[in-house]
Amino acid sequence: MTAKTNLRSRAFPRRAGTALVVLVLCGAFAAALVGIPSLRGVALGEGKPTDGPAKSEKVLFYPNCLKCHGDPELKVAFSNGESLSLYVDPTSSDHSVHQSRLSCLDCHQRSAYYPHFPLNVISRREFTVAMYDLCKRCHFEQYTRTLDSVHFEAMAEGSEKAPVCTDCHGSHNVLPVKGSHTKIAQTCSDCHAEIYSAYAKSVHGASLEAENQDVPVCTSCHGVHNIHGAATASFRQASVDLCIKCHGDKQLMDKYGISSAVTKTYLDDFHGKTAGFYQKESSSVWPDVAVCTDCHGVHDIKKTNDPDSRVVKANVAETCRRCHKDASPTFPAAWLSHYEASLDKHPLVYLVQQYYRFLIPLMVVGLALNVGLDLWRVARNR
Amino acid sequence: MDTSLANLDETAMENLPEEFERFTRVQRLQHWMLVLSFGGLLLTGLPQKFNEAGLSIRIVDMVGGIDNARLFHRIFAAMFTIESCWHAMEIGRAIFKGKFRPSMFFSFQDFRDLWNMLRYSLGFISQRPQFDRYDYRQKFEYWGIVFGALIMIGTGAALWFPTYVTKWLPGELVPAAKEMHSGEALLAMLVIVIWHFYDVAFSPAVFPLDAGMITGKISRERLIEEHPREFERMAGRALHEAGTSGEVASSGVVQAAQTSAAPEWQEEA
Repeated sequence: MTAKTNLRSRAFPRRAGTALVVLVLCGAFAAALVGIPSLRGVALGEGKPTDGPAKSEKVLFYPNCLKCHGDPELKVAFSNGESLSLYVDPTSSDHSVHQSRLSCLDCHQRSAYYPHFPLNVISRREFTVAMYDLCKRCHFEQYTRTLDSVHFEAMAEGSEKAPVCTDCHGSHNVLPVKGSHTKIAQTCSDCHAEIYSAYAKSVHGASLEAENQDVPVCTSCHGVHNIHGAATASFRQASVDLCIKCHGDKQLMDKYGISSAVTKTYLDDFHGKTAGFYQKESSSVWPDVAVCTDCHGVHDIKKTNDPDSRVVKANVAETCRRCHKDASPTFPAAWLSHYEASLDKHPLVYLVQQYYRFLIPLMVVGLALNVGLDLWRVARNR
Repeated sequence: MDTSLANLDETAMENLPEEFERFTRVQRLQHWMLVLSFGGLLLTGLPQKFNEAGLSIRIVDMVGGIDNARLFHRIFAAMFTIESCWHAMEIGRAIFKGKFRPSMFFSFQDFRDLWNMLRYSLGFISQRPQFDRYDYRQKFEYWGIVFGALIMIGTGAALWFPTYVTKWLPGELVPAAKEMHSGEALLAMLVIVIWHFYDVAFSPAVFPLDAGMITGKISRERLIEEHPREFERMAGRALHEAGTSGEVASSGVVQAAQTSAAPEWQEEA
C-alpha cells in the first residue's frame, strides 16, 4: 500500500514535466498554424480581411506577372482555333471577395516558374475545366461537395457544359453570392434558362423578382455545391420535407396569410401517410404517390386561386387524372382540399370522426366493466 | 312443465354423452378463416392508421414496404369477403333446406337475461339466467361482426376503388369511408381483444383455452352451466335417439344439476 503511494508520488513530477513539454509543443504548433498563413496573406476559411498596414503592403499583382499579362494583346491560341486573351486588368479584382487577400500565385501556383508548364488542352473550355481544382486549395469543403453533385457527374461523363467553380462564381472577379437570392437565380438561369422562365412566372419566382428574400430560390430546394439530381427517387421522397420547411413554419406562413396546417392535413391523409412510409423505405424506392409537386407543380407553382393553377377548382379534376386516370368530375371532392374536417367543412367526415371518438371509449369502458364484473362474480363464487 | 323433470335422474344423466357437438366442421372452418383474414387485416391495416408509431414502421418494413402492406391487406380483404359470403350462403342453404334455427336473433328474453345477469353478478339473485344456445353477449358479438363486416367491406371497397365509387356517389363519401374504416377497425379489434379473448381464453371458466372452435365440442358440465336451454334440447334429442321414452328435457334437469353445484353464498343471499 505504502510502496504504491510512494511510487505514485515519485512519478507525479515526471508526468507533469512531460505534460508541460507536450503543452508547449502544441501551443507552438497552433501558433504556427494561425500565424504562418496570415504572414503569407492567405486567409483561413471565412476569416475577415485583415485591416491596417498589412493590407496596403500586400502585393496583389506581382510586377513580374504584369510584365507579360499587362499586355492587352497577349493571347493564347488553342488547336481548335479558339483563342483566349491572357491580359489581366489589374483593376479587375477590385470588387472581388479575394481582393486584398490573394495574389496571382496563390491560385496560379503552377505558373510560379517561367516559362510556365504547358497545359495539354485543345479548347477554351478544356482550359477552364483544367483550372477546376485551383479553388480547392482554400475551398476544400465546397470542392468536395461538388464531387457529389449532378454537375460533377456530368463532367465525369465528359460533358463540356458541366459547370466548374468559376462558371458560377467568376474567376478574377469573384463576387459574394450569399445573401442575395436574386443573384443565385440569375446565376443558375445562365444555363437553366427554360426552368428559370417557368420559375419566374410562379408565385415564388414572381415574388423573388419583387426582391422578396423569403421565397425559395433554386438552391433552397436543390442545395448549393452538392446539387443532386431532382429526378431520383430519393429526391422525390425528400421533396415533401422541402416544402414543409417553409410551409410548416407558422410564423412565416402567417406573414402571407397562408395556412401552415396544410402540412398536417397532407401528412394525415392517404397520400401523405404513404409518402411518409416511403421515406422510411430504401431511398431507391420510387414513391408512387402524390407529393406536393404532383398537384401544385414544380417550378411553375401558382397561387391556389390563380386561374392557371393546377389545383384551382376548374383544373383540379384534370390534375387528379394525372394519377387517377378514370377520375370523374365529382372525384376531387374526395380530397378535403387541405381542410381539417369540421361542421363547416366536410361535416360528414367530421361526424364520422366524432362518432368513433365517442363510441370507442364508451365500448372499451363497457367491455372492461363487463369483464371486471364477471371476474368479481367468479371470485365470490369461490 | 315441471312434471317431467323428475324423470331425469342420475341414471338418465349417465346415458348422456360427456360432450356435445357445438360447432359443425364448416362453422369451425369459417371461424378460422375469419381469424386468419381478420388478423392479417389488422396486421397490415393498423400500421396505416397509426403510421407514426415505431411498431407500425417495423411491421410495414417487415412485409416489404407500404405497397406490399396494401397488397396483402387487399388479399386478406378478399379472403374476408369470401368468408362472409360463404357464411351468408350457408345460412341461405339452411333456410332452403328448412334446417335453419334462428338461434342468433335477439329476442326479448335476451334483454331479460342481461338484466338478470347483472343482478346475478352483483349478488342480488342466486340463479344464473338460463341461456339458450347463444347468450346475449355472444349474440352481441356476432351481430357486431356482421354489421362490422358490412361496414368494413363497404368502406374498404370505396377506398379500393375511389374513382369508381365517385362516378355515382358524392366525393365526400370517400374520406368519410376512410374515417369509418379506420374507426370501425379499431373498435372491432378492441372488442375482440378485450371481450372475445377473455371469453375464450382468459376467463377462469375456460382458461387456458376454450377448444370448442377446434374440436367443435363442449363438455356437458359447461353446456349445463352456460347454455342450459340448449342442453335440454340436446339432451332430449340424445335420449330420444338412445330410445329413452318420454319428454325428458326441460329446465328442471338443469336446475337440479345447477343447484347441487350452487355455492353457499348464493343460498344465503
